[in-house]
Amino acid sequence: MVTITIQELTKRFGGSVVLSSVNLQIEAGELFFLLGPSGCGKTTLLRHIAGFYTPDEGKIWFDDEDVTRLPAHKRGTGMMFQSYALWPHLNVAQNVAFGLEERKRPRKEIEHRVAEALDQVKLDGLGSRKIQQLSGGQQQRVALARALVIRPKCLLLDEPLSNLDAKLRLEMRTEIRHICKQHGLTAIYVTHDRDEALSMADRMAIMEVGKLVQVGTPTEVYRNPATRMVAEFIGETNFVEGRTLRESSWAGFFDVETPFGMLRGRTNDSSWQPAPGQPVVLSIRPEAMTFANLTDSPNRFPGHIVDTTYLGPTVQYLLQVQNGPLMKVCEINPQEIRPPSQEETRAMAGMNDVVILRK
Amino acid sequence: MSKSLSILIFLVMTAFFACFFAYPIWAALEAAFRGPDHKFTLEYISEVFLNELYREGLWNSFIIAVWTTLGSLAIALPLAVCYVRFAFPGRALLNSLVLMPMILPPFVGAIGIKAMLGQAGALNSLLINLGLMDAMHPTDWLGQQRMLGIIIMEVLHLYPIIYLNAAAALSNLDPALEEAAANLGCNAWSRFWRVTLPLIMPGVFAGGTIVFVWSFTEMGVPLLFDYDRVTAVQVFRSINDLSGNPFPYALVTVMLVFSTLFYLTSKLFFGNSSASGGGRATTGRETIKLPVWLGWACTAFFAGVTFLAVLPHLGVVLLSFSKDWYGTVIPHSLTLTHYHDALGHELTLSSIANSLKYSALAMLVALILGIGVAYVSVRTRIWGRQILDAMAMLPLAVPGIVMAFGYLAMTREGQPFHWLMLGEDPLLLLVIAYAVRRLPYVVRSAAAGFQQVSPTLEEAAQNLGARPEKALWRITLPLVAPNLVAGGLLAFSFAMLEVSDSMILAQQAAHFPITKAIYSLVLSLGSGPNLASALGVWAMIFLAVTILGAGVILGKKLGALFRV
Repeated sequence: MVTITIQELTKRFGGSVVLSSVNLQIEAGELFFLLGPSGCGKTTLLRHIAGFYTPDEGKIWFDDEDVTRLPAHKRGTGMMFQSYALWPHLNVAQNVAFGLEERKRPRKEIEHRVAEALDQVKLDGLGSRKIQQLSGGQQQRVALARALVIRPKCLLLDEPLSNLDAKLRLEMRTEIRHICKQHGLTAIYVTHDRDEALSMADRMAIMEVGKLVQVGTPTEVYRNPATRMVAEFIGETNFVEGRTLRESSWAGFFDVETPFGMLRGRTNDSSWQPAPGQPVVLSIRPEAMTFANLTDSPNRFPGHIVDTTYLGPTVQYLLQVQNGPLMKVCEINPQEIRPPSQEETRAMAGMNDVVILRK
Repeated sequence: MSKSLSILIFLVMTAFFACFFAYPIWAALEAAFRGPDHKFTLEYISEVFLNELYREGLWNSFIIAVWTTLGSLAIALPLAVCYVRFAFPGRALLNSLVLMPMILPPFVGAIGIKAMLGQAGALNSLLINLGLMDAMHPTDWLGQQRMLGIIIMEVLHLYPIIYLNAAAALSNLDPALEEAAANLGCNAWSRFWRVTLPLIMPGVFAGGTIVFVWSFTEMGVPLLFDYDRVTAVQVFRSINDLSGNPFPYALVTVMLVFSTLFYLTSKLFFGNSSASGGGRATTGRETIKLPVWLGWACTAFFAGVTFLAVLPHLGVVLLSFSKDWYGTVIPHSLTLTHYHDALGHELTLSSIANSLKYSALAMLVALILGIGVAYVSVRTRIWGRQILDAMAMLPLAVPGIVMAFGYLAMTREGQPFHWLMLGEDPLLLLVIAYAVRRLPYVVRSAAAGFQQVSPTLEEAAQNLGARPEKALWRITLPLVAPNLVAGGLLAFSFAMLEVSDSMILAQQAAHFPITKAIYSLVLSLGSGPNLASALGVWAMIFLAVTILGAGVILGKKLGALFRV
């Protein structure tokens, strides 16, 4: 279990900068997520921590040991590869034993620990199977066992669930988190799946074109996205453009002028006071909008429904706001389904759910 | 393609193979086992093992094959690792130059090596000039160590086959498999032995087998080194006897059995196909930038090996230009007369014309068959398509000399295929022999093409109303044309330089192809070797252009051409 510190990390491939001055501290025992669209540099950052890339600038520390130039095989990390990278010429048990053999553990201990690790990932008795005889889910478990059995300083996971079907993915989420917490492992998990990140992470970092855009807990990131890109990436949302009018009569809330009327909301960062006249963008999540009457909110969205999608637990509407954008409205446990029509209606959103972002 | 057409191709191919691959082998075997009274006999086979001369020949062939394979591995593996892993000056150029040694049949290179290593050759002259050797007592390198000379010649000729296979296997390896080992604490050296090597073993094995069988049955090089104590040469010598002599057939049978045994044994140990390191690569492989001096060391290693490998060819070139090359490092004076004389010699022009004729027809036959086989095995799901593919690759594993003898046996007087002889003209026989032997190149390159072109492109054409055959003709064939051109070029040029079939099947000077003409020129007195060299240089340029062309078109897939 180590604290991982990354200082001013920069990496260029050819002419293009894939990581630019990344600073990050991952606490001991933390399950940390790197999240971002493909090509944002999240896997590159993970591979720097594993030691497969050497940065052009910057440093990486495991506790107070500088590992920037330490070759991969001396770092003591356990990595799960996206393709699992299981060796087809070795069977399941031989794959898992590999790291212990490199550590020159006595034969007895290796056998014992391999059996234990296979048991933990529920593959007991399959040690002599060939890799090709396993299903995708089983292969994924072998990869996990292989990374865990060496008792790594930290566990690195590179999109470990992306090759599994939806049901298995849900199961493995809980299981991986459980195993990490049980061993008190520092774990870094790369993914582009926001549900995975929100449901598993202690903290997460959102990346975009080689930079960290935001670091925080799932609730912080979801509720107070740092930028428009983060707001959109971490969940469904509606954007409304406008101009700040003034600070409202409620402390901490601001009035914003939009093409279809005034909206009142809070900033994503309490230290920021938008100046009157400043162009801003508002992020309003579909599930925060409702056709019910909210008495304590001035935020009204008059318009008509152009599309209705029934999803069982929820129903999604597309609302064409008068003089405004198309907005998504999501109602949970819907009792009455509203069909698309020209009839005037209006949706509302609480003041706390209208988040003001810098433009 | 409609199912009935696929089945038709399958049947035609099977019939062709039965007639011109299985039957000749059977005919050779039959001749080896049938006594004068048409009864089954083991007398000839047992004579092969009882006769000390034949036993020695087999043993020597085996030794040559083992050392040639080991030598080729020792050169090719480090080269392949350097090329795939490291960035060094001149990397791309040197990689394409690796093919250089293949541009000459090694037996032509042997003329050059004799000029260099002979008693009055270039090496001795150099040593004498440097004061390292007594001019009165020059070492007879080739006389004392002819077997070593043969092995060196063959290693320098054949290592590219292993190189191509190993490099292809290495670059197909998912880098994550090695990274996973590094992540678990494995250092670079033990990573190579524990993960990389086992995973590329099928590729290395495929190349190694071809090298082994090739050198076990190689006839040209020992022939030019005047080394009669290997089986292939003994076989060649004995066909000058009466055609009724059963011993060449017995020898060939023994060779075939041994080749197959070696192949199967090594397949058992190394060819475990479940351990192929395939799978799609999930991370790009970063070539490692070496420190300047290490980078240049790689360059020097590559360039050095290539230089050594082309040294015999350099000898051939020098010989073809030299007026007089005796007891000096390089020839005294240069001349173009050999090229002029070569054109005037009765053998050369007709042999060039013959070779062009045989090879062009053979290429055509190989292309038609090859495209059919590749298409059926890649694109259809009919029963037996893998068998078809395997059949087409088999000629790589069967020694050329076995095939040549098979053809000879099946066209003897009174045999059902005697009409193929067309009197004494070996045209049909040689075309069929060349086509069968070079079919694997065409099949592999066409199959590579069909695999790259998505079947949905063809389906889209069918969806818009094209008949399956039309869709194949208008969409897929144009897209795989580069592969077909490459495969055809290779088939053509290797047919031009085919040795064993040419030596054995063409018996009359008027029908000699180039290779046999070169051989008989070497044997003739006077400026014969120089004329042979001039002819060899012509062939060398020809092959260089086609192989480099095929290499450019096929890229890394070139390695797959030399795989059983």
